[in-house]
Order: sequence, then structure tokens, then C-alpha cells
Amino acid sequence: MEPLIGMGVLALMGAAAAIAGMSEDLESDVGSQSNPNSQVQLAPQMMYPHRIFNKAISGEPPSNALMCAIGGTTAAILMDSMGMSVLFSVAIGALVAALAHGSYSTMSFFGRPASQKRFKQPIYLDVLRSHIVAIMAFAFVTTFSIVIISYLMITALGHPFPLALLAFIWGIAVGAIGSSTGDVHYGAERQFQNTEFGAGLNAAQSGNIVRKGEAGLRNGIDNLWFCSRFGGPATGIAFAMTVFLSGWITLVFDPSISLTIGWLSVIAGLIIVLILIIFNRKLEVSARNTYGPYKSDKEEVAA
Amino acid sequence: MAAGGTPKKAGSAIPPKKIMVFGILGSLIGIYAGHFLTIMFGPVFSFLGVLGAICAIVWGADTVRRVCSYGIGTGVPSIGMLAIGMGIVAALFGLEIGGIAGPVVALVIATIIGLIIGLLGNRIMKMGVPIMETATAEIAAAGTLTIVGVSTSMAGSFEIYNIVSHVVANGFIALVFIIGAIAILHPFNSNLGPDEKQDRTLAVAFVDGSIVMIVTGIVVAGVSIASAVPTLVIGLLIWIIAFTKYYSLVKRDAYKVVGTGLLPTEEELS
Repeated sequence: MEPLIGMGVLALMGAAAAIAGMSEDLESDVGSQSNPNSQVQLAPQMMYPHRIFNKAISGEPPSNALMCAIGGTTAAILMDSMGMSVLFSVAIGALVAALAHGSYSTMSFFGRPASQKRFKQPIYLDVLRSHIVAIMAFAFVTTFSIVIISYLMITALGHPFPLALLAFIWGIAVGAIGSSTGDVHYGAERQFQNTEFGAGLNAAQSGNIVRKGEAGLRNGIDNLWFCSRFGGPATGIAFAMTVFLSGWITLVFDPSISLTIGWLSVIAGLIIVLILIIFNRKLEVSARNTYGPYKSDKEEVAA
Repeated sequence: MAAGGTPKKAGSAIPPKKIMVFGILGSLIGIYAGHFLTIMFGPVFSFLGVLGAICAIVWGADTVRRVCSYGIGTGVPSIGMLAIGMGIVAALFGLEIGGIAGPVVALVIATIIGLIIGLLGNRIMKMGVPIMETATAEIAAAGTLTIVGVSTSMAGSFEIYNIVSHVVANGFIALVFIIGAIAILHPFNSNLGPDEKQDRTLAVAFVDGSIVMIVTGIVVAGVSIASAVPTLVIGLLIWIIAFTKYYSLVKRDAYKVVGTGLLPTEEELS
């Protein structure tokens, strides 16, 4: 294959990955899945009932793997066995996945608060109605983008895996990156805006999440608005970089040409990792110098 | 405090043994009926395999519920993954060597693998969960029967060469793996809390099982429409019935279900 066409395909995959990463993170934020969920679950037990969607399907990697596997499988069946066009197949696959995801989310929304009867956490049906649409819409976008990435890998880059399996693997990847990159923004910052920035989570603060919004009571849509400013795009960039850079090294140094070039691709990968480590270290040090360290009482008195 | 409340033995309205018999017999009857009736009368009957898988899912969900009540809060998803991970090894191995007795052999192998992993967890990793050994044996068996049931429906038989060409080679095994795992772990995970009730959790197991059935229906549509239509229709019916039942149980168990409203007041909470 022409290297330039390969690069173009890779750029397209990177663009789809940016969308997938962003929508994955925002989808988990609307419903408080993954890490921030523990505080949403804990809050009523600490006498802080709330109007935030409690979506406990599983961790993000398994639930996204499920969505993408359903989407990839449906698309593969429609394309290969029924001869449907690619775009329609992928769209219908993503629709089926979004519907299934909506069902799992609804079960958790009802189940978790119902199991907290003694803490008097009510179930608000308007929260379900307003949030489930956003959750399913983001699930659709994520599945669509991931299946497109997998399809491009197979048809344009000649990847030997079947579509369902590739979609499953990329589903795990996008879930893992969404969980590690985006959740920090929601869990540590948004849920505890009432504590001092950088204070960490004191045990006494456990479950004391912000429950009142700019206007009225805070819900998942408010959290979505906040996370779409930074957490979502950051996750998108992180996932796009993962997809682009991991494909880029074997595209530029194609191992199928010779063994030496194959080893060059490994070295290129190592250099990229090294650059990222150094860059992260610099970023951390400069952030600490600008904003921290968090002062102890004694230093504050001295100052 | 553990997320699932204080560690305790879960109260069960339906005794575990009864659900175990339902799971084993139901799924084996479903798998064998699906296999033989499909061979004798055609693909219309292939839905019986995944119907059997639903029995196994309900059993698995009940076992997850019992073992996770001992304070395994965030470990619930891991237990489901463990179940299906053990299951996939046992299922493929059992079907390969077992021939016509394949599902039974797979069940026996899964039980042995589960017991060994349970012993490792309790004795070497010192997890200290009283029912760990039997519970891992049960979830491994339930995971295996789920995989065999769904694969039988997708391939139209449980003979290994059919399963390899219709489920493994085209990558659908990834879907079977993850949808089976979520169906086993999700019912308890979505009902986690101190006021969890067995019937409500099992209602979710039926809802999740019906999603497995609907997706299986979509997959078999690629091979034969005759087998896809009954699978999809029965799957949708089970979803509707189970969801209606679940919603009525939620209304029974919840503090209150309201259209909208403010948060409970201080007086209400105290």
C-alpha cells in the first residue's frame, strides 16, 4: 500500500478516535460510572441524598467492550451476510448497542437507589428521562466511531482480526483510557468543588458531594457540561494519540519489509514513550511549582 | 464500610440449591434440546440453547449475589469476568473432548477449575470468604453453561467444529464472552446496597438474559432467518415481562418513586 494512503487512513482513524474518546468519557460522566460512582453511591449513606444518575453497569472497560462488541457484531452480520452498505450497517450496529446500553443503565438507575431504602434516597423519574437519552446518544457515537476505526483497520490497513473482535479490543481500550484520563476531572474536581483546591479527599468528606447546582439541584447533565470543557476533550486527545501513534510506528517502519525495519519501529515506539515520560515530568514539576505544594498550617502562619 | 454493606450471609427467599438445580437442569435441557431438535426439525429450534443459557445466567447472578454479600464491593465485576474466563476454557475443552457428552464434560471441568481457583483465593490469597470455594465452582459452571448455550444457538449445534467455524473464527466469541460476563455480574452490581432483595436481582438477571437472547437472534440472522425470528421474538417477550416485573419490584422496595421533586428534608432524613 502507498505509505501516503496509509497515513491518510491513520489520520482518519485518529479523528474517529478523538470523537470516540470524548464521547466515551462524557457518557460515563452523565451517568457517574466508574470511579466517581463510589461517591455517588456513598452519598445517601452519609445523609446526602442527591439527584445524580447512578449508573453502575461495571467498570468502563467491560461496559464499553460490550457496547462495541454488540455494534461490531451487528455491523459484521449486516455487511457480510445481508449485503448492506457499510455506513448503514455500522449505524444500525451502533443503534442496537445504544439500546442495549440504555437497558443496562436503566436497570442500575432503578436498582441502586432501591437498595438504599433505609437511607431514604428517592428515585426521580425525570432524572431517568432526561439522562438516558444523553447516555444512549453518547453510547451511539462511541460505538459508531470504534466500529469505524476497526473497519478501517481491516479494509485499509489489512488487519487480520475479524470486526467483532477488533471492536471488542478497541472497546476495552477506549474504556480504560476514559476511566484513567477523564474521570479524574469529574471525580476529584467536580464532585468536591466545595473543598479547597488540592486539599485531597479527607475521610470526613466522604460522600459529601456537591448536590446543589448553579440553579436548582445538580444532576448528571450539569456534570456533563463541566466535563465537556476539559475532561472529555483530554480523553479524546489521549485516545487519539494512542490510536495514531501505535499505528504510526509500524506504518512508517513497516515490519513486513524487513526485520531491521521492524526493530526500528520498536525503537521509534520506545523513543515516543521516552519523550512522553519526560514531557509529563516537566509538566508535573511546573504545575507543582506554580500551584503547590499544599501549605501546612505552620508555613501559612510564617507567611 | 464495604460498599455492599456490612459483610453478612445474604438472605435468600428462594434457596440456593433450588436455583442451582434450575440452572443446571434448565441449561442442559435447553442445550441438548436446541442441539437435537435443530438437527431433527431444522433451525427454528436453535433458540432453545440460549433459553438454557438464561437459566445458567440466573444461577450465576444468584451465586455472585451470595458471594459478593461478604463485602466484595468493587470486586463484583471481577467475579463476573472470572466466571466467564474460567467458563470459556472449560467450555471449549469440554466440547472438544466430550463429543455428545460435551456440555456435561464442560460442566464437570468448570466445577473442578472453579474449586481450585476458590481454594487458591481462600487459602493462598487469604480472602477469607466462607463460601468462596463452592461459589467459584458454581460461577465457573454457570459461566460455562452460558457460553455453551449461547454458542449452541449461534452455531445450531454444540459440535466443536461447528462452534469453531460459526462462533470462534469470526470473532463472535468476544461478544459471547463479554455479554455473558455482564449478564452474570450486572444483576447484583446494579442492585448493590444494604436493602438488596433476591427477587429484584434475579429479575435483572432475566432482563440481561433477554438481551443476550436478542443479540443472539441478530447473530443467527446472518445464517438463517427461520432461527432468528423465534429467537428475537421470544427474547423481546422475556425483556418486556422481566422489565415490567422488575419495575413493580422497584416500586415495592424503593423509599419512594417520584416523577420529580426536591431532596428529602432534614426532618425526613432523621
